[in-house]
Amino acid sequence: MLKASQVHFCIRQRPILDEVSMELSPGEILAVLGPNGAGKSTFFKILSGEIKCNHGSVGYNGHDIHKLKARDLAVVRAVMPQHTQVNFAFTVQEVVELGLISTKVKQPAKLIEEVLEATNTFHLKEQVFNNLSGGEKQRVQLARVLVQIWETKPFPRYLLLDEPTSSLDIAQQHAVLKILQTLKARNIGILVILHELNLAAQYADKIALLKDGLIAKTGTVEEVLEEKILEYVFDHPIQLIKNPVTGGVLISAAAQTHTPIPTFKQA
Amino acid sequence: MNFALNHTKIQSQNLILIGFGFGLVLVLIASLSMGAYRIPFPQTLAILLDQLGISLGSYEMQQSNVLLQIRTPRVLMAMLVGGGLGIAGAALQGMFRNPLVEPGLIGVSTGSALFAVIFMVLIPTVSSLAWIKMLGLPLFAFIGGLICVTSVYQLSKSQGRTDAATLILAGVAINALAAALIGLVLFFADDTALRSFTFWSLGDLGGAIWSKIPVSLTLIGVPSILLLFNSRQLNALALGEQEAFHMGVNVQQVKIRLLICSALIVGVGVSMVGMIGFVGLVVPHLIRILFGADHRLVLPGSFLLGAILMNFADLIARIIVIPAEMPIGVITALIGAPFFIWLIFNLNKSKN
Repeated sequence: MLKASQVHFCIRQRPILDEVSMELSPGEILAVLGPNGAGKSTFFKILSGEIKCNHGSVGYNGHDIHKLKARDLAVVRAVMPQHTQVNFAFTVQEVVELGLISTKVKQPAKLIEEVLEATNTFHLKEQVFNNLSGGEKQRVQLARVLVQIWETKPFPRYLLLDEPTSSLDIAQQHAVLKILQTLKARNIGILVILHELNLAAQYADKIALLKDGLIAKTGTVEEVLEEKILEYVFDHPIQLIKNPVTGGVLISAAAQTHTPIPTFKQA
Repeated sequence: MNFALNHTKIQSQNLILIGFGFGLVLVLIASLSMGAYRIPFPQTLAILLDQLGISLGSYEMQQSNVLLQIRTPRVLMAMLVGGGLGIAGAALQGMFRNPLVEPGLIGVSTGSALFAVIFMVLIPTVSSLAWIKMLGLPLFAFIGGLICVTSVYQLSKSQGRTDAATLILAGVAINALAAALIGLVLFFADDTALRSFTFWSLGDLGGAIWSKIPVSLTLIGVPSILLLFNSRQLNALALGEQEAFHMGVNVQQVKIRLLICSALIVGVGVSMVGMIGFVGLVVPHLIRILFGADHRLVLPGSFLLGAILMNFADLIARIIVIPAEMPIGVITALIGAPFFIWLIFNLNKSKN
């Protein structure tokens, strides 16, 4: 269990996160949604151990995060930040290999091959990372993060991703979310920050809505996806439509038609 | 298949390093043989092998003296300092995540020189003990270098990343401050201190004698070997400090190790032969351009290539204006500066 209890974080007396509590069990995907500036990234950094909260606690499998060494933490959780810049001319294979730096695995070459296949980047492995397109870079970074927790282990592990689909086309977005779904069977809990509500509706098991540093609502997808609460969180009119193909829910963010269209009159 | 691929990668890395090692031996022998007093190759080899107990041919006593007492310590010193500057440059570039970083640019060299000058001006009165002079100078230089590089690093860092523009500005500022302080100290110095300072500005291997070798060997050799153990962590740092932490690297600890080892190497180098520019910049770049960015190769490769280039530059410095000697800093800058310009030009081109 990845557990955050009453996490509080201030910058110059201004609370960015206010008593946020959350639980993530292995084998489930939790999507964190919310408008810009809601505190999602700060929460993400506290969960990954990058920054310390002012008070409150984060625990991985019952161990307090700040009592774990970086190396031990890397065994139970992998993190994919929004952007990663590589400053020297490393090849894709070299970048992915780095994911194994703190774990001792039996067959490193086989693991690397598997994650490269899974992320559809095997054909790129000899190329220099910096010469890749934005989408390819993001998939290679995903491969690097995946290899860290790819080998099966007897204890639950966690994967944190901050907008892993931001530079991907629609097919690749779904491919990434499908990879995340396969991880559930490996006893891995996944926390993913998403901007695309429909991706969350389709793939997540649970959703946490964050607004102004507070959890506005958390629960299963059906519980959280309500027009009223979404409109409040995102400050934008939202309609829920039934997907004619899957029977699932589609979220439409069309503006209300009765809003008068601003016109410019000549003076 | 992949496993085999990995295997061949390590093999080819070893092959490259063996190649560099072989090149270094050739340059060392050439450097021992050539100079104002020429010792033909057969005699050079005969003298060297005689030291190992293998008798190969006859040579004159004078040849043996020049080679063993004057040239050997000089060549060893060039190897240590050049190799040290190369590997320290590679480590610092990796840590700052910036290919423009060079011991001279970020204040290590100037900081070391400042503290070395302070030591020379202030300590002579108490330096009756030989070992104080022998150890005090390199240690003072190390402290100066460490202070400067730490302050430049702190100034240029924001949110775990070093900003290139701030880095250069901080380096310029710290360098200017240290240079001004050197001037201030020299203002109060006597003639002897002044004269021994002049060689700091451009570097000089002429003062390399056997008695300096054990200290340099320990204080440059040991931290260089320690740096080699950090190559995987340096690879991880290339993705960013946060990412390295996510992958399980204790970033703070690694950075402290890198800073101390590099400052020690450069500080001792500066205290022994003065400030020598561009080796720490050019060498790691050449290795990266030729063989890729993996620090497992870049670090040892930079040491070997740095040692080769330094001996090569010293050789040129000794034979270009026989019987006089050109300061070695002039030669390294003559090779290094055009390369630096070419580098900036190419960085600009790749950005557009």
